[in-house]
Amino acid sequence: MPKIRKALTAFSITTLLAIVFYVALNAAIAQTTEQDTAGNQQPAEESPDPDGGAQKDANNKTDDANQGGEETEEPKKLSAWEKQIKRIDDWFKTYLVEPSNAFLGFDFGTGKFSTENGKKRSDTSVPFIVAWLLAGGVFFTLRMGFINVRAFWHAIRLTKGDYDDPAEQGEVSHFQALSSALSATVGLGNIAGVAIAVGLGGPGAVFWMIIAGIFGMSLKFAECSMGQIYRKIAPDGTVSGGPMRYLKDGLAEYRLGAIGFVLATIYAFVCLFASFAGGCMFQVNQSMNAINAQILEVAPGAKYVDLIYGGIMVVAVGLVIIGGIKRIATAASVIVPFMCGMYVLVSLYILLTNSDEIGPAFGTIFRSAFTMESIYGGFVGVMVIGIKRAVFSNEAGTGSASIAHSAAKTDEPISEGIVALLEPFIDTIVVCTMTGLVIVITGVFDTETNPAMATYIDAQNGAALTTAAWRSQVPWFPWLLCLAVVLFAFSTMISWSYYGERCWSHLFGARTSLVYRIIFLGFVFLGAVATATNVVNFSDNALMALAIPNIVGLVLMSGKLRGKLDDYWTRYKNGELEPATKYGKK
Amino acid sequence: MPWLPKKTVVVPVDFSDNSLPAMEAALELVASPGEIHAIYVMAELSERDPGVIWGTIDDAKRTQNAKESLEKAFSDAKFQGFTPVVRIGDPGNEIVEYAQDAGADLIVIPSRGRTGLDYLLLGSVAERVTRLAKCPVLVLRG
Repeated sequence: MPKIRKALTAFSITTLLAIVFYVALNAAIAQTTEQDTAGNQQPAEESPDPDGGAQKDANNKTDDANQGGEETEEPKKLSAWEKQIKRIDDWFKTYLVEPSNAFLGFDFGTGKFSTENGKKRSDTSVPFIVAWLLAGGVFFTLRMGFINVRAFWHAIRLTKGDYDDPAEQGEVSHFQALSSALSATVGLGNIAGVAIAVGLGGPGAVFWMIIAGIFGMSLKFAECSMGQIYRKIAPDGTVSGGPMRYLKDGLAEYRLGAIGFVLATIYAFVCLFASFAGGCMFQVNQSMNAINAQILEVAPGAKYVDLIYGGIMVVAVGLVIIGGIKRIATAASVIVPFMCGMYVLVSLYILLTNSDEIGPAFGTIFRSAFTMESIYGGFVGVMVIGIKRAVFSNEAGTGSASIAHSAAKTDEPISEGIVALLEPFIDTIVVCTMTGLVIVITGVFDTETNPAMATYIDAQNGAALTTAAWRSQVPWFPWLLCLAVVLFAFSTMISWSYYGERCWSHLFGARTSLVYRIIFLGFVFLGAVATATNVVNFSDNALMALAIPNIVGLVLMSGKLRGKLDDYWTRYKNGELEPATKYGKK
Repeated sequence: MPWLPKKTVVVPVDFSDNSLPAMEAALELVASPGEIHAIYVMAELSERDPGVIWGTIDDAKRTQNAKESLEKAFSDAKFQGFTPVVRIGDPGNEIVEYAQDAGADLIVIPSRGRTGLDYLLLGSVAERVTRLAKCPVLVLRG
């Protein structure tokens, strides 16, 4: 009983604080929009006639924001609520999306080489961050001697538990650690993200996603091994590890302590934003879109779905992260592998009923991977989109998964890194490819045959696209998708709030973690009401920015990692790690 | 000659380098190690920790592990008979609360002396204990 009372008290405090948060946000927005409308009232904005020196900057900013939305915006009358939402959304765009775009989207001027004729539908330049991630993946694949290929079978045996020893230190088994990490990675990125990739980049994007997945396996190996090497085991047997730790302690061993400290701090700070964006807003936003698309199909004209769904999600997530109700968290995490299986089964069913089209679909995918068609932004555009969505989905290079993997019970850090390389494989090469094939085979991405889909694609509403693809096969399939989508979104948010909280306590100590949880809930709601384009862009930026401090650190320490890997691999090849030899088991 | 015959001394332990000197300082003050209560305060475990999700770790198990760690850290013969105590929560509050419950006459606590940003953000457990304690507190400068 006291537990329930405690949960209730905590919950009412949160609700109160959430209201305060909302009012404060509103006040901030009100200020911006005042300047915004001041700018809008001047129709001849381009004429060199800024109104007042102080407002010049603000006007320029909001002006940019308006130009982006002009194409789709209609001068229709908005209700008070819709106006409010738009204000939140504009504020969000001006202060979070655009500043981060300026840095991460820097394309070394490659933008001018891109195809320009026709409608520009995707990124046609190579943003800095995409080049960085690809380079990181290739570097570690080479540096670790194609670990992604040679350790694959060993990874499966490790996950099966062939090498498990209960006496080793840690919290969970290899399999459990992998499942926990997967519950954070398998999310709306696999369902909505892939649909966005195919919608914007064409079928060829699937090819590049798979390529990015293969290289991602090596990156994942590197970061999760490092997470294990530098994890800390507390006197009570609990484990904590992750990029904040290996960047700080690992680089200190190289006499780069200062750099390590800076990188770890930057990492933890950016990770907070990533947890609010990709780990929260994106999940709520895209799952809401999937449900909205389905509800509108059944009940056209349904209103306030975003508001209601956002509210329900805030309560559900709040019950776990503030109410501390373990059972919900456990249930959500344990159910993910089953949902994952269900998703793959339904996708396989759709593929098998269209089996004669699988061959041609692969043909299209390979052909259009190197397309020069300007509609998809050309070869470079397809590649950029594919890599971006793959990384967003499997999080390789961002280091986040190493927080979960460091909890694995093992005395061999390398072995958990090897288990972790299965993650991009399951996430990207299996699940994402399924979504991609379904989208390609059902043809929903093709706006010529399905003009209705164009609005979804333009709005980066990937979840609605997948819903449409499933509906085109069996009318009740979208309901299954809704179920999967909600559970994926929920479990991803739970896992990511854990990652974020770890970073928060790294920065500000564990005592204030309630503050983090409340902000997190604020973003759950914000995710439901903001427009998809802004949410997708912000999520991309925040998540991928993690790769900068992480890969810098990993590359600096790659020599040590290679040494440990070689040592492990020799012992593995000599049979010294076989359970029978090592522990005298069986 | 002990300073505090037949009295209870609480020593907060965080397993840092300062913990052993603090225990040794306490030993000089008491008649027998049996009067020393070494307390370790753990943070609350997140309900989203992989170990909690998979049910492989819980507070009972953690308490057990932490007690063993305490016994191992002070396994030296001179400490034989001290009472290991494990609590969960905010270190400052828990230490003071336990000292009250156990009717402690003194708390011996090392001060690590956080400086700069860490101090501003995290504060100091020693400071908090000194402020809240209902009994004398001996702060060791490290």
